[in-house]
Amino acid sequence: MSVRVVVRTVSELCITVGTLIVLFVVYVLFWTGVKADNAMDHQIDELQKQWSKGAVAQGTQAPSGDRATASPKPPGPYTYGKPFAVMYIPRLGFTWNKPLLEGTATDVLKKGLGHYRGTAQLGQTGNFAVAGHRRTYGDPFKDFPELRRGDAVVLTDGTTWFTYRIDKGPYKTLPSDIEVIDPVPRKSGYTRPGRYLTLTTCDPEWGHSHRLIVWAHLDSTQPVEAGKPQALRR
Amino acid sequence: MVRVATPVPWCDGRDGMYGWIWRHLPGNVWVRALISLVLVLAMVYVLFQYVFPWAEPLLPFNDVTVDNQ
Repeated sequence: MSVRVVVRTVSELCITVGTLIVLFVVYVLFWTGVKADNAMDHQIDELQKQWSKGAVAQGTQAPSGDRATASPKPPGPYTYGKPFAVMYIPRLGFTWNKPLLEGTATDVLKKGLGHYRGTAQLGQTGNFAVAGHRRTYGDPFKDFPELRRGDAVVLTDGTTWFTYRIDKGPYKTLPSDIEVIDPVPRKSGYTRPGRYLTLTTCDPEWGHSHRLIVWAHLDSTQPVEAGKPQALRR
Repeated sequence: MVRVATPVPWCDGRDGMYGWIWRHLPGNVWVRALISLVLVLAMVYVLFQYVFPWAEPLLPFNDVTVDNQ
């Protein structure tokens, strides 16, 4: 084998691998975002459709509903991989809104934020825990470190607006620290049961060595008929 | 450089992989260029549709949960 053949083969391999790497970077930085934005829009559309249908059904159902439960009916169990709410965080941008799906598996998080299975439901006593991508797949939690005490995290499930207020964070911890999503999270400063919310994402931005955590408590709720909550008005 | 089209076997080591593909494409230069373009696009499609979605979860950007469900 001549030197010529060796040099040529190595060159061609380098060019091929280089092109592959460039394409992969384009895929991770750009294409996952395009795909995620489409998927999230689709999830929100699906929710809106569901809610506009549900509103009618609820209207006819209300009179026959049993009066035993004075408080609003707790939402049914969430279906894995299906959207059930939309989250708004004004600090991350006035137009920032993402669908919230049940489950935190990789394929679920490609379509929106994920609700940890087994944690409390929206607005209920306990800890409503949510995970989201820091980078790639639309970068939903890119500006996570900007979150401050007092910031609003607003969610709607189609019938009610839930306004949570951040109490502590961003708190940096290790991936194995699962106590941060406990009903009364350790290190959060909360001492007794309440209606809490936890957001988790990865840290550093492109790494996975740590996690960033934010804790919030339920500040107020209002029916959707009452219009947008104060935190979302300009 | 003028290259004479000779019936050389593919393993003669005259040119590399890309040269080999180019020589085995039919038609004149324009047809070959067009086919090459189609091949490149097909390659990119396969990569974006199948290979990269498989490879991407192996990187750390997906680990955003605290319990690694």
